[in-house]
Amino acid sequence: MFPLFGAWQTAYNKTVTNVNITTAGTGSGTGIADAAAGVVTMGGSDAYLSSAEMAQNHNLLNIPLAVSAAMISYNLPGVKANLKFNGTVLAKIYSGKITTWNDPAIKALNPGVALPSTKIVTLHRSDSSGTTFIFVSYLSAQDPTDWPVGQVGTTVSWPSAPGALAELGNGGMVSGCAATKGCIAYIGTSYLTQTTAAHLGEGELANKAGKFELPTPASIQAALASFSGSTPANETQSLINTSAPTGYGIINYEYVIVNKKQSSAAVASALKAFLNWTLTTGSTATFLAPVNFQPLPASVKALSQTQISSISG
Amino acid sequence: MSAAAPDVVGPDGGAGLPLSRRLGRALRARVRNGDLIRWLGRAGAVIPTLALAFILGTLIVKAWPAIRVNGWHFFTGSAFNEGSFYGATVKTNGIAHPPGVSYGALPEIVGTLETSAIALLIAVPVSIGAALVIVERLPRRLAVVVGMFLEMLAGIPSVIIGLWGGFTFGPFIANHIAPFIASHVPNVPGLDFLRGPTGSGQGLLTSGLILAIMIIPIIAATARDLIRQVPLLPREGAVALGMSDWECARRVTLPWVGSGIVGASVLGLGRALGETIAVAMVCGINLTTVATNLYGAMTTIAATIVTQLDGAFQDATGFALSSFAELGLVLMVITLLVNVAARLLVRRVSGTALPVGRGL
Repeated sequence: MFPLFGAWQTAYNKTVTNVNITTAGTGSGTGIADAAAGVVTMGGSDAYLSSAEMAQNHNLLNIPLAVSAAMISYNLPGVKANLKFNGTVLAKIYSGKITTWNDPAIKALNPGVALPSTKIVTLHRSDSSGTTFIFVSYLSAQDPTDWPVGQVGTTVSWPSAPGALAELGNGGMVSGCAATKGCIAYIGTSYLTQTTAAHLGEGELANKAGKFELPTPASIQAALASFSGSTPANETQSLINTSAPTGYGIINYEYVIVNKKQSSAAVASALKAFLNWTLTTGSTATFLAPVNFQPLPASVKALSQTQISSISG
Repeated sequence: MSAAAPDVVGPDGGAGLPLSRRLGRALRARVRNGDLIRWLGRAGAVIPTLALAFILGTLIVKAWPAIRVNGWHFFTGSAFNEGSFYGATVKTNGIAHPPGVSYGALPEIVGTLETSAIALLIAVPVSIGAALVIVERLPRRLAVVVGMFLEMLAGIPSVIIGLWGGFTFGPFIANHIAPFIASHVPNVPGLDFLRGPTGSGQGLLTSGLILAIMIIPIIAATARDLIRQVPLLPREGAVALGMSDWECARRVTLPWVGSGIVGASVLGLGRALGETIAVAMVCGINLTTVATNLYGAMTTIAATIVTQLDGAFQDATGFALSSFAELGLVLMVITLLVNVAARLLVRRVSGTALPVGRGL
């Protein structure tokens, strides 16, 4: 979320000179806590607020501004094809039950691909992360036996897979995977340019219909279409494991967390103007394409605008 | 009012003068008779004590709900599970927390002690050796240069050491050092800890070595300055009695500075116990198990707090934050205990020094 906010901030400060926005690249948890405490005006998060958080802070809103996805990357120089994965295989890899790349379970999903006997090194985030949240949500949605619901969160008590590596941030995942033959990692698609440059493979992911898809604009839009009609008024919704046959399994709304009650009418109106700008000018390809985000569908954008209009001073 | 206003306050207490002048005079008088310095000194003595008491008090208050719910499981359990923030809040002993919480800090506590022990085991002999060589062996000019590098090593920010450890040193250990040790250690029961899977380079050995590198300059620089203070006469006497360099160092120089070196080691140990970011970058953040061997992924108290705190903010019940306060409290108690133990040790060491070491 932070890189996009940075780009928005630069452009917006140029056009609207009497409002000054600064960004801080903290994690989701800090962003939410600060928004609740009124330290910052906006907090960014890949994960929506829990009902407990909503109950504790009645004034907090989570407002989607864009759509993102997480991809599965791996470092197998000999394998040119895009490998196929599903939740069961990924859950077994991440819990240490599948330990080599030529395991029968992986072979079964990838007939005809010559898989090496290389050991699998799983990479997970050492910090608390929204990307972790959507990745393990997918594992649990696909296979609650191998990945119980209790193991879903922005911080996960990882089962110890032999040789597992912990990395800090999406950037750490990319460099860690690039340096480790046989690694597998889940990374936000905004880092696609970096993973391609590092010659990492990109996995095709099974959706609920059992079809394998890469995270392309078309597959993300297809998945989005299967959820956007049922997005509730408070816009708290998981977009994991789509039933759309051409949809991609791990997508999420990129949320901004704001306090409905701002310190003054002036701050409230400036904030509303900025948020409305991010949904219009800010949602053009100029801003979203470099980070591989997708704009919100019209119906969800309308919900976001309704939430924005409820902010007051 | 006369031009030469008397500094000593008159019988009227200087009542005729404006307030600022009177205050100025009173202050000057206080400075002159030493009252001001005395009060500054008292404040200086009290403030650190109050700060320590305040930090301990805050931690205990914040950790109290977690202490009541976690109980002894905190010291015996291994899973560090914050529970499901998206589930319905449940209550234990009237304290609200997310469902599925299981805070067992055994991996954190054991990891903190293990990494610090490895660091001390390596750093103390290396530091003493380096200090002896710098003072007694190297030509003065070379000693100055080596000493300078030693002090510069102390100045490297820990995040830089962490980066180096994560990207260069860790993989080197995983590819060369760990397989070498693991394959050359004989297969006897007591040495299983040094054998087995050699891991990914993120783990106990890397963390311990990184910490050793960070505390060597602290211990060595202090030891060097201490050894310089040892008078020449007893050392010359030892040489005259036919002692070798090693015997002279062991029987004269080191006993002379023994308590000081223990103190320096405790300084280093304090740094090792609390070092956060460098360890977080090389330990593997394994929140669920104590490392099974020397190369396994692990975590320490400080590394767990710094990497997991952001997620703890998302626990609406505040129970995760409370458990982190408990973790911090444990680290603080460990550090205090180590300090007390070191003080006792210093008393013993300075008591057993040879007569020659205690001056002539």
